Order: sequence, then C-alpha cells, then structure tokens
Amino acid sequence: MAALIRGLRAGRVLRGLGSVAVQGTLSPQCSNVRRGFHRAALLRLANDSKSDTSVPPPSYHEVDTAGESSSSSAHGESSEDAQPNTSFQDQSGEHGEDYETEEQLQARILTAALEFVPQHGWTVEAIAAGAETLGLSSASTGMFNNGAGDLALHFVAQCNAQLAETLAEQNNQVQLGQAESKKTAEFLRDAVEVRLRMLIPYIDTWPQAMSILLLPHNIPDSLKHLSTMVDDIWYYAGDRSTDVNWYTRRAALTGIYNTTELVMVQDSSPDFEETWAFLDNRIKDVVNMANTAKQVQATGEAVVQGLMGAAITLKNLTGMNQRR
Amino acid sequence: MKDPPELQLVALRVYDASSYVTELERNMAASVRTLALRALSDSTRNIQHVSRCRIKHLCCRAEITGRRAYSDSTEGRSTHFGFQTVPEEEKAEKVYKVFENVAKKYDVMNDAMSLGIHRLWKDTLLNTMNPQPGLRLLDTAGGTGDISFRFLEYTRSMYDRQQRLRAKSHQTPSWQDIADHYVSDKAGPPQSRAVVCDINKEMLKVGKQRAEKAGIITGLSWVVGDAEELPFDDDQFDIYTIAFGIRNVTHIEQALQEALRVLKPGGRFMCLEFSKVTNPLLTRLYDAYSFQMIPVLGEVIAGDWKSYQYLVESIRKFPDQETFKEMIEDAGFFCVQYFNLTGGIVAIHSGFKL
Repeated sequence: MAALIRGLRAGRVLRGLGSVAVQGTLSPQCSNVRRGFHRAALLRLANDSKSDTSVPPPSYHEVDTAGESSSSSAHGESSEDAQPNTSFQDQSGEHGEDYETEEQLQARILTAALEFVPQHGWTVEAIAAGAETLGLSSASTGMFNNGAGDLALHFVAQCNAQLAETLAEQNNQVQLGQAESKKTAEFLRDAVEVRLRMLIPYIDTWPQAMSILLLPHNIPDSLKHLSTMVDDIWYYAGDRSTDVNWYTRRAALTGIYNTTELVMVQDSSPDFEETWAFLDNRIKDVVNMANTAKQVQATGEAVVQGLMGAAITLKNLTGMNQRR
Repeated sequence: MKDPPELQLVALRVYDASSYVTELERNMAASVRTLALRALSDSTRNIQHVSRCRIKHLCCRAEITGRRAYSDSTEGRSTHFGFQTVPEEEKAEKVYKVFENVAKKYDVMNDAMSLGIHRLWKDTLLNTMNPQPGLRLLDTAGGTGDISFRFLEYTRSMYDRQQRLRAKSHQTPSWQDIADHYVSDKAGPPQSRAVVCDINKEMLKVGKQRAEKAGIITGLSWVVGDAEELPFDDDQFDIYTIAFGIRNVTHIEQALQEALRVLKPGGRFMCLEFSKVTNPLLTRLYDAYSFQMIPVLGEVIAGDWKSYQYLVESIRKFPDQETFKEMIEDAGFFCVQYFNLTGGIVAIHSGFKL
C-alpha cells in the first residue's frame, strides 16, 4: 500500500516538475524540491501584494542545504538569477536567514489577521483566519506563543512606524522649505490626532486590545512602544532638551495621549469631534502649565532679589554693615 | 554425543551471563561473550545456530543477537534496542512484539508507572497545540488513541465556546442577522477529524474498543501504517502528533521527513517524548525509579518484565532535547521549540512546515 502511494507520488512528481531534473524517486529529494517550490510560491504571493523588496526564495534553499540534491540547487540558482539577492546571501549560517524569514512570515500573518479583527476580536481566531488567507493551515497560530497579545503588539508597532514615517516626511518638507513649521502645541495636537485616527477602523474592539496590552506579561512591551512613540513625537516637535524637561515633557504627552485614547473609545460624535476638542483642551492646559511655571520662576527670582535688597538696606540703616 | 569443547565454553559463558545482573554487568558479560565468540566464529557457523537454540533453554533473558550482528555486519547496519545492539531489520520486529504483548494492559500500566501524570502530559500537549475547530490531525503511533480522543474533545468544546461568545456579542440581532443565521446553519459546524495511525494492529484494536465505549463515533479513523512510510498523500494534515512513539522508530530522520511530507503548509509537528532530566537530584531519583520499580510493575501487572525493561532503556537511548530539536530542524521544520514538563522527564517538541 505504501509502495503504491510512493509510485503514484513519483508519477505525479515527474509529470508536475517538468522543468527540474528529478533524480530517481528518492522521497527526501523530491520533498526538498517541492518544498522549495512551495515556499517560492508563498513568497511570490507576498511579492505580489507587497511593493517593496521582500526576501527572495533562495534564502529558503539555503536552509535545505543538508543533503540537498543538485537538482534543487540548480533550481535555486535559476531563481537567484530571476531575483537579485542583496544582503541575505552574505549572512553566515542558515539560522540568520531563517530567523529573518520566520519573523517576516509572522509579521505577514499578523498583518493579514488584522482584517479579521472586527469580526473575531483580538483573538487567536483572527490570527487563524489571517493565516488561512495566506494559504497556511490555521495550526500555524501555534507560532505565536503570546496569541492575541502578539497581534495587538504587532498592530501598535505598525501604527507607530506609520506615524514616524509621516512625521519624518513632514519634517523633510519643512526643511526643504515647502511647508511652514508649526508651533509646538499645534504640532503635538496634529501628531496625536494622526496617531489616534489609525485606531478608527478597529475602534469597536479597541477596549479588548487595550486590556490585552495591560496584561502583566505584555506591559513591558506595550510600555516600550508607548515611550518610543512619545519620544518620536517630541523629537520631531523639536525638543532637544537635556535637563529635567526631557522627562516632564514626555510624561505630559503620555498623559495626554492615554486620556485622549480613553475618551475616543467611548466617543459617539460624528468623526470623533469631541475627542479632538478634548485633545485641544488638554494641550492648552499643558501649555498654560508650562507658561505658568515659567512665570512663577521669574516672579520667584524677582521676589527673592527684592527681599535681599530690602535686607541689605536694613542692615545699612542700622549701621551693622560697616566694617570697623 | 558429547558436545564439542567450543560449544561447552560458549554455554558456560552464557550461563554466567544468564544469572541476574545489573545493566553494567550485563554489558561486561556481553563484551566478554563477543570476545569469546569472535575467537570461535570462523569455524563454528553451524554450531552457532545450534548453540543459539540450546542457549534459549539455558537462559531466558540474555539475547545473543550480538553474534548475529557480527556475522551479518557486512549486510546491514545495527541499531540500539534498549541497551542491546540489534540489526536494523530486527528492531522493528522486536518493537512490534513488545507492543503486541503489552497492548491489553497498556493504559493500566501507563497509569501505574507514571502515577497518572501521563494524563497531565497529554493535556498539556493539547493545550500547547490549541487546535482550532475543523482541523485534521494525524496521530502517529497513536495506539490506544489517547491524543485523538483529547483532540476531538478539545475542538468540540472550543467550538461551543466560540458559539457562545458569538451569541453573547449578538444579543440584539437585526432581522437581517437572524435571516442570515437561518440560511448559514445548513453548513453545520466544521468537522475536526483525527486519524490514528499505528504499526501495531493489537494497539489499534484496543483503541477501537475504547472509542466504542466512550461513544465516539464520528471524526475518527484507524489506519495501520509505518511512521517511516506513511500511507498518505502529501499535504493532507494540519497537525501531526507522535506521543511516546518516536523513540521506537528505527530511523527517526525518515519519520521526521514523512511527517514533513504529509503536513499541509503551515502545519504543525508535535512530539511528546521522554527526554533528559535537567535537575541532577531528580535524575538520581528518576533513574532509581525507572530501573528498579518499572520492570517490577511490569511483571506484576502485565506479566512482562522484558518489555518494560526495553521501555526504560529506550528512554535512555533517545537523544536529548537540543539534539532532537536539531534533528527536527534538519528535516526542514521551522520555528522549532521545546517545552520541558515535570523537570525534563518529558518534553514537547514543536515545529512548523512553512
């Protein structure tokens, strides 16, 4: 029975892989070649959907070097000619390329899974549905040890990357002189609005994502994402401070962002107008606080100087200041 | 007819070895035996056959297969069967006999030897797998079907849970939703299917009886097959499991390659197997328990000392966690990781076909 299946398989292989010289019917070699093809097919799917350069198929072939037949390496070479391999070929060891392609595949699955979040929520079912659109079995959700946490963190990282791109683009335009630079308050307001608008497609299920990000084992990662985002915004706003202001500014913006996010989640006004009004008010508050702090400091200095002057005058009057 | 002196010498040596010995002494006796026999081998090929029959009467435990390995060394390679060395062709046969003998008492012995902890190990395997409803499972060396039963149970309860959550979030459905619900209900729940594959018919028989008793009718198939040469087409299964079976396979690499072949892209390979204990104190306790208690339990409960001696020896012969992980990676799986259970007594290895 097994021999029969082997024979059928051999026949199918010979018919199907006409372009590659198949040496005999040794199953490991056939499976290697077919695997290479299959992964090439997977990546071609990805290449169609992504515009920027992605990992070329030969990287998978480097993995199969253990006991590989010349037929599959010939196939590898032909596909290498088709897609120029840039930096991956120079990496030493199979594992370097392995990890990059594994992580990239995981990122692709999670991106595909985001489509299904409105339907399934931030759960493993959404990841399973995403994997299925890529042609993988839903058993591949086992790759994500953190399950829904991985999905939420991936989304947050993606949004932050988009925000950083947008801010860098705006900065470029200002430096080239094509746009005017904004005042700090306005800049902060716009940046936070852009970032929060990315949540709008998922706003119904966002409370679930927020609760997932607050789970103890996810807190380090979510805090890291939040702090890098706030740092990015302040950097592009022009903050180059090196004193305690660095901390106070970031703490203030973190507070603004979190509270505005909470308001947005329960906002039902058209296009979230109330949220943006709330954001305006909070930023005004912070700016007022900063101005008040400066004034208090200036006033304090003036008061102290006045008192010093008064004390010296008194000493002069009473004659205690004379040197004998 | 008086026996030739060479045969008497052989019989004496073997008789020494046949008295109760620990594994160490048995190894020494084995090496002494092979030395003596090598001195006689060229001229005594005929007598070897005769003496083997005689020796079977003398002792029941010392199996003189090392001699056959020497005379057949030009033909086939040899592998380990517990702490013995046997030709590769013989190992599959011997393993078959072991499991044929233990089939009826397999589940009882599992409970007795592991004090019931094997149920927790198998539950942990299912929790790690976290299968979605509607997947196909291939349970290789599945024998009495423990993993398959748990898989069907898990997917059924997972499906019920999903339905409940969906109902909760649709508390006030619109008329359109209700109409759609009636229409789509015809499809029914996605059916998860499990295929139990084992090389041993006796184990499958016991498994079928268990399934009937538990009332599991649909979604389960029983197939006789060899893990090194599975009778399935490519890209058939979502999950491939092999629980406490891969150490009995003669060519582990071949079994891994077959697993890769029958899995769908994105499919998961999971292996639950005894492994190296990491804690040194636990190692001593575990060794003492394995070699002193388990064969005794085997003799008392199942009436079979040798099979359970083979079991504990085969655990020692199996590669450790890191080595096995490398073997899985070499076969072509990605994202390979392992989880130690009960301090390393058991390990779950998992890899993906991407």
